[in-house]
Amino acid sequence: MDPKIKALQEKIAQAHLGGGEKRIEKQHQKKKLTARERVLYFLDEGSFEEMGILVTHRTTDFGMDKEMYYGDGVVTGYGTVNGRLVYVYAQDFTVFGGALSETHAEKICKVMDLAMKVGAPVIGLNDSGGARIQEGVRSLGGYADIFYRNVQASGVIPQISAIMGPCAGGAVYSPAMTDFIIMVEETSYMFVTGPNVVKTVTNETVTSEELGGASTHAVKSGVAHKTSNNDATCLDDIRNLLNYLPQNNKETTPLLPYELGDETRDELSGIVPDNPNKPYDMHDVIGGIIDADSFYEIHKDYAENIITGFARLGGKSIGIIANQPMFLAGVLDVNSSRKAARFTRFCDSFNIPLLVLVDVPGFLPGTDQEWSGIIMHGAKLLYALSEATVPRVTVITRKAYGGAYDVMNSKHIGADFNFAWPSAEIAVMGAKGASEIIFRKEIAAAADPEAKLKEKEAEYADKFANPYRAAKRGFIDEVILPKDTRSKLLKTFAMLEKKAVQTPWKKHGNIPL
Amino acid sequence: MKKILIANRGEIAVRVMKTVKKMGIKTVAVFSEADRNAPHVQFADEAVCIGEAPSSQSYLRGDKIIGVAKERQVDGIHPGYGFLSENADFAEAVEKSGITFIGPKSKAIRIMGSKLAAKEAVKAYDIPMVPGIDEAISDVAKAHGIANEVGYPILIKASAGGGGKGMRIVEKAEDLESGMKRAISEATSAFGDGSVFVEKYVKSPRHIEVQVMADTHGNVLHFFERECSVQRRHQKVVEEAPSAILTPELREEMGIAACKVAKSCDYVGAGTVEFLMDADLNFYFLEMNTRLQVEHPVTELITGVDLVELQIKVARGEELPIKQEDLKINGHAVELRVYAEDPLNDFLPSVGNLEAYQLPVGEGIRVDNGFKEGMDVPIYYDPMLSKLITYGKTREEAIELMLDAIQKYKVKGVRTTLPFGSFVFAHEAFRSGGFDTHFVKNYYSPEKIKQQTANGAEVAAMIALYQFLEDKKIVRLPSN
Amino acid sequence: MEILYMNDTYTVKVGDDFDFKLSKDTISSLDLIKTGADAFHLLKDGGSYHIKILGSDFNNGTYTISVNGREYQTLIQTPLDELIQKMGFATNGSKNIDYISAPMPGLILDILVEEGQEVEEEEQLLILEAMKMENIITSPRNGVIKKIRVSQGDAVDKKQLLIEFQ
Repeated sequence: MDPKIKALQEKIAQAHLGGGEKRIEKQHQKKKLTARERVLYFLDEGSFEEMGILVTHRTTDFGMDKEMYYGDGVVTGYGTVNGRLVYVYAQDFTVFGGALSETHAEKICKVMDLAMKVGAPVIGLNDSGGARIQEGVRSLGGYADIFYRNVQASGVIPQISAIMGPCAGGAVYSPAMTDFIIMVEETSYMFVTGPNVVKTVTNETVTSEELGGASTHAVKSGVAHKTSNNDATCLDDIRNLLNYLPQNNKETTPLLPYELGDETRDELSGIVPDNPNKPYDMHDVIGGIIDADSFYEIHKDYAENIITGFARLGGKSIGIIANQPMFLAGVLDVNSSRKAARFTRFCDSFNIPLLVLVDVPGFLPGTDQEWSGIIMHGAKLLYALSEATVPRVTVITRKAYGGAYDVMNSKHIGADFNFAWPSAEIAVMGAKGASEIIFRKEIAAAADPEAKLKEKEAEYADKFANPYRAAKRGFIDEVILPKDTRSKLLKTFAMLEKKAVQTPWKKHGNIPL
Repeated sequence: MKKILIANRGEIAVRVMKTVKKMGIKTVAVFSEADRNAPHVQFADEAVCIGEAPSSQSYLRGDKIIGVAKERQVDGIHPGYGFLSENADFAEAVEKSGITFIGPKSKAIRIMGSKLAAKEAVKAYDIPMVPGIDEAISDVAKAHGIANEVGYPILIKASAGGGGKGMRIVEKAEDLESGMKRAISEATSAFGDGSVFVEKYVKSPRHIEVQVMADTHGNVLHFFERECSVQRRHQKVVEEAPSAILTPELREEMGIAACKVAKSCDYVGAGTVEFLMDADLNFYFLEMNTRLQVEHPVTELITGVDLVELQIKVARGEELPIKQEDLKINGHAVELRVYAEDPLNDFLPSVGNLEAYQLPVGEGIRVDNGFKEGMDVPIYYDPMLSKLITYGKTREEAIELMLDAIQKYKVKGVRTTLPFGSFVFAHEAFRSGGFDTHFVKNYYSPEKIKQQTANGAEVAAMIALYQFLEDKKIVRLPSN
Repeated sequence: MEILYMNDTYTVKVGDDFDFKLSKDTISSLDLIKTGADAFHLLKDGGSYHIKILGSDFNNGTYTISVNGREYQTLIQTPLDELIQKMGFATNGSKNIDYISAPMPGLILDILVEEGQEVEEEEQLLILEAMKMENIITSPRNGVIKKIRVSQGDAVDKKQLLIEFQ
């Protein structure tokens, strides 16, 4: 064989081995795939093209010039997911524990720059011990180069991060600025400072898993948008998510073929209970509206009093925000407001129409909420929805009380079409509370105040606990039967497809962060 | 007759209706709630739902069926096979309601339905029977006497039995006592009746039956034999006509014997007389089936008659339009019962949805079918999907055509006896004609089918991988 | 691209009953000729095989092949697919779940199984009371209960481990 060809083949074979067979085996023992295995599994068969496979670091300190690995701890390139172009980088834990060096960062920046020029998503598969300490500040510079690009790309191309191993210190801020973070259960963690530092500084004893494992971030902090039980399902989940997203902010979402027929959904009729204090699962309403099994939930386990996620309606992607009466009666609080606001802004950035399902009794009262700044956080959702220019449609299934009515995509803040079910109650507050205020004197003066309250409560409920006052004023465009919701929404979103809105020139708004 | 109700489902209901329609008579189907989609419902001129899916609430409800027949002003009821076809009470009730039962009189059904009564009836006609006793016993000493008389090996079987329970083969006198005891205890626990028959055990038995047809004018014809020796779980699965081993003389002898059996019970209509044949070609009367048999098509193909048509003519009181001397065997026919069951798993029923279902077509291929693509195979009934029958001028030709037809029969979603059929028809023992009812026990194991398909499967795997590697070479451009 | 340290042996599943391990060398040494667009003739160990490719889906690795008139469904598993299976990564959702954790915070009302017990899919495992509703937690798959991590009357947090499978 031509020695030149042989030399190339040997280099490639060596690059594929990363940190060597032993480290590959160790990675497998930890229930983790290697970087290249992940990339190949993630992308369509035969579609991966690698960039910079022969890159090595430039450090000579601490004997590093004796330890060189092709690729320098990150596999980068492009390929396709269901035929659509994506850029990908995967950190290779078998090389210096995936530690980020100057050249490692350069490789990541290279695919990000290309992705920005071309307009295609970037998927980062993170598995890194942190900065390459031997390189010092050059490594820190590498991080910041990536952060800066994350921000430039934000709202231009979708950015998705998978956390498939450690991700600590400064490294967390790159995923934090991408659109979605998916964590692998039991093998990944994210934190700014690890358990050892925590112990010295605050004297708390905590494990990595408790401090920053997948379930911590999925349930408590909301840092993770989703968790997956292993590497393969995590990569499957990302492929799935991409199916709902456009390539960039100038394009629309991919349309799946869907043949419309009789779209009446009788199962929607029996969901809302007669008793307004009884909970029901808003997922059932969502399931009755969208294409079968098409719901992709975001932040499933975080702030469960509001549901967010992507779905398909007649084959087309939509974003759904829905109050969940099963949790805290579907009330708006700090976490649910932030969760829904961020989801709204993602959808608006990427031309994904929004459907808002409303059953909200108001904002959560209490010192905890007020001191945590519910005013500011609630305002985020109000701001995000008001600012969104994508098609916006609302369905009020039951309660829409007080300020929360305004916030939940009301007509007044720019919603395009607002439906209500006959069970809707659009009012300033619940009948009991309202009667106590309006008829305070009358009730106090009554021989039997309790009976009087009941009477007045009924009177108020009769007047306001329905959608018709709002419909009279045009705040509701149509009161519809639950079973017709799907067919109405199919038509409404089709009608709104070409919606275009001119907004006044500004550098950017000042959302209450 | 202007209108006939078919009190059955599946392929046989469709098959009967075809002839009824051909004769210019209207058809009425009955069906259970599970069968609204079934071909027999759509094929009939009229169809009535008679109850829930379990057959005890639908196809076995004689009262409901007669009610429907009256309401629809039906002249005759054809029971098919299974369900109510050999239920004397039902036949009697139909007779009483003034509707014609297309089958024998209830009296004949009753006689042939009882092993003892049948033996009693044919006694006078000099029909060879398996040597033994014609009364049920439970006394070991008595059994010894009989065994010595007929010679070992002997067979002990429960008088109330069926399905192999309470059956024992005893090779020598020393084992008789323990064999009796075990047979009696098994019979007692299975049927609550410990009495047994003792008879000579026929080694390498073949199951050969003769089709007969009698009219109300005293004519009895036989339509030659069918060989049904290939069985699994004591049920037939492969049949053929004629048998590969009968001489013309023997055929005539058996035919005459069969006609005598029919006469013994004043038989009317189509019936089948079953015989056991030993290795020396001695035949013994087993029982008479008082209905149209599942495997009747092989007889139809080699004789050129439509047995259902004759049944109806006889039921109308007409004289049989043919004479015995007109009947000739022409060619050879083989049949495979296509069951939804898994030959790799002890022939257990395999229920599911027929995701794909395509029948073979072509000259010499007949499929009596009761299913179509997309249907579920109901869990409530016999899992037979269809009967695949092929006809050729010679036995070899029929077998080759069968092997070809099996390949063209496409079923996805459930396991079937089709691969088992391929195994049987390709097997040397079957092709040579040298087989008996122990065919499955002697020659078959799931591994053999697996082995048979394994070669093809390996080739398929290789080509799939070949194509995959070829496809991999194709340049696929990313789209944006 | 292929990962060079992995072997080049593919597993081809045929129907439910057959698995064949085939190397690329085996395929390239086949005595195979193309007889039509999707038709081939193969000579193997003296046997003659007429083959048609009836359907193909490269991305999912599924091919429908007819060999001498008999149809076979095949699924190609690459060496990487093999590795993923070997590592126990079920790619089709819930079937290989080894842990059951609480779907919501609540109170364990009753435990219906014991350690070591064999359970079937959908079998009831325990009752978790939350929001005054009795939620029945059922088994996601057939399996054997390895360990029960809670006892009756325990208050549990969302996602707290309840039951481990073997």
